[in-house]
Amino acid sequence: MNFLKRAWLNVWAKKGRSVLLILVSSAILMFVLAGLLIRSAAVKATDQAKADVGATVTLSANRQAAFKKVQSSSSSSKSSRPKMTLTPVKLSDAAKIAKLSNVKSENVTSSTSVNASSYDVVSTTSGMGSSQGGPGNMKGGTSSGDTQINGVSATSLTTAFSDNQSKITKGRGITSADKNTNHVVIEKNLASQNDLTVGDTITVKKTTGSKAKVKLKIVGIYRASATASSSAGPMSSDPSNTMYTSYTLANTFKGSKYAGTADSVTFNVSNPAKVSSVKAAGKKLINTSSYSLSTDDASYQTVKASMSNVESFANKIVWLVAIAGTIILALIVILMIRERRFEIGVLLSLGEARWKIVAQFFTEMLMVIVVAVAIAGAGGKFVGDQLGSQLVAQSTTTQTTSSSTSTQPGGGQPGGGGMRGGNGGPGMQQASSTKAADTDLDISVSAVSLAELGGFGLAITFLSIMIASGGILRLEPKKVLIS
Amino acid sequence: MLKTQNLGYWYQDKSQPLFQDLNLTFDEGQSYAILGHSGTGKTTFLSLIAGLDKPKSGDIWLGDRSLKQIGLTNYRRHDVSIVFQAYNLFTYMSPLNNLLTAMAITGAEHAGDKFFARRTLNSLGIGEDLVERNVQHLSGGQQQRVAIARAMACDAPLVVADEPTGNLDEDNTQEVIDQFQQLAHQQHKCVIIVTHEPDVAARCDHQFRLENKQFTQLA
Ligand SMILES: Nc1ncnc2c1ncn2[C@@H]1O[C@H](COP(=O)(O)OP(=O)(O)O)[C@@H](O)[C@H]1O
Ligand SMILES: [Mg+2]
Repeated sequence: MNFLKRAWLNVWAKKGRSVLLILVSSAILMFVLAGLLIRSAAVKATDQAKADVGATVTLSANRQAAFKKVQSSSSSSKSSRPKMTLTPVKLSDAAKIAKLSNVKSENVTSSTSVNASSYDVVSTTSGMGSSQGGPGNMKGGTSSGDTQINGVSATSLTTAFSDNQSKITKGRGITSADKNTNHVVIEKNLASQNDLTVGDTITVKKTTGSKAKVKLKIVGIYRASATASSSAGPMSSDPSNTMYTSYTLANTFKGSKYAGTADSVTFNVSNPAKVSSVKAAGKKLINTSSYSLSTDDASYQTVKASMSNVESFANKIVWLVAIAGTIILALIVILMIRERRFEIGVLLSLGEARWKIVAQFFTEMLMVIVVAVAIAGAGGKFVGDQLGSQLVAQSTTTQTTSSSTSTQPGGGQPGGGGMRGGNGGPGMQQASSTKAADTDLDISVSAVSLAELGGFGLAITFLSIMIASGGILRLEPKKVLIS
Repeated sequence: MLKTQNLGYWYQDKSQPLFQDLNLTFDEGQSYAILGHSGTGKTTFLSLIAGLDKPKSGDIWLGDRSLKQIGLTNYRRHDVSIVFQAYNLFTYMSPLNNLLTAMAITGAEHAGDKFFARRTLNSLGIGEDLVERNVQHLSGGQQQRVAIARAMACDAPLVVADEPTGNLDEDNTQEVIDQFQQLAHQQHKCVIIVTHEPDVAARCDHQFRLENKQFTQLA
């Protein structure tokens, strides 16, 4: 094992050269570590993000089937404009689906409209007045009033609230405890215009049947976001005229035959990857000619795509830097070996085995690399932090852009359209919130990444010595005599 | 002890050999000088008997085994010590570590014996003040003495030297030759020195001249 001693004597005697080698190796390894850290953080963040973003399955009336029925009946009886009848979703069906595994929560949506009685509606800035017969207003038995009623299981489960487009400013939102009550959450502008506050009672007039007056108790006031109101088309009423109630109350406004029904029920799936299996299992529980199950895992797919971008980018960094580092180190070692060919010649003239000479060089580089790994471990966190935040900033921008475009055509979602006096009104998209902003890369130097770095350091050293050792193996010992 | 049998060597052109059909014998306890003008092939010859290169024709025998049978690496490790004109010590080591390293590689009897290594160096005039200093801080004469001490500390029965006094002044030359003579006469090694200096050659027990592709023994 004399080569070990020689290696040590050499590294120690040529301190300046050793320090330079350590610095070069540290720089290379720091980049490798940065890549490793980002990759492992990306893996972690991807898992987290996948779990965080909701994916949903929505049970609603089968619009396609209903539409076909309308078409066929219109060809037979030309007398009157046929009405498209959508079968309301039965809550008993929804309860069955809710029991499937991976279903985290459900949100029942039932929307209708009523007319103001004890208060004045906010007149819309677009000047179109209250909406009458929007394109989606085809639902039989529901004529439009000036006040939009969004019946929900809980406001917190709706997209508008979970995305913070709408916010409770006073009191509280609708919860499952408000079932079978007359509690209502109204918009801030409507409240201030009519001087209403939490605890007050308002009166509305049904648009169906007896057109009776109903008293509602205000439990909360919310603020609709600017984007929500601007997104409302000219056909819709002012978003301030939208109230949230329990879906049970909305059902009573629609009429007694709507008890135990809903426009749609949205199920939040705990593991977004299981969305299609939940859909498949759910389909077996319902009558698919009347009802349909649709899925929305767009944000999950977006997060998945953008995080795997980061991951593959980090992977590329790791390999590029490792390969570049190996080449750089190999070149340095080749130069070093050229400069030391007399020493190698003396070793050969003493009868030293060539592999032991290679082993000496390897040991020397190994000593350098061990110190370099320690330095890179300390410095790599800094580099990783910088790179990580840059990457996250970049990826979340692309993510939000792509997720907003992907949810734009959400008008196809049940709960929009039909029941309401408008098209794609404020915040009735179901809660498949995009939590893109929450995906943060947690960069920390773990023992695992240090071990991985050590592995890379070892491999780089080994490879560069192997590449350079051709020079040792080919060197003729006679060269030390004849120079 | 060392015999060459029809030994021949050429570089590119077989019809222009440096030497051919050499049949020489070198005995232990004797010193030999190989004289010759520059470029005649003295170093090339030495590289063959030092096991640094293979002959193009013929053979070299150590006792009853040919170098081919022994294997060149093995031969270099156990049977021959080489002293170079440029000393060729490990520049990153002290004289002491140079000796210990050579002893370890060759598996010498005294391998690992620091006391023995020191004593050997001391006996060649490398005092205690120099023993642990980096060899690069030693003079040429001192470095060549370290190289001779290295040959002395290893057990190889054959010592070959290529122009060992080429870089030394007159005083150091005389001392170094004395030490080679000690190696031959006191340690009973076979010492073969290549030199172009006639007065160095004159101090050896035997002299050969390489001329016109042939070795001629001088009276
Ligand atoms: N590697 C080589 N390739 C070709 N020719 C060489 C090589 N080494 C030495 N020579 C030539 O061989 C001859 C003998 O060289 P050398 O043995 O060094 O002579 P000396 O030691 O007697 O001066 C010289 O002419 C030299 O140019
Ligand atoms: Mg020569």
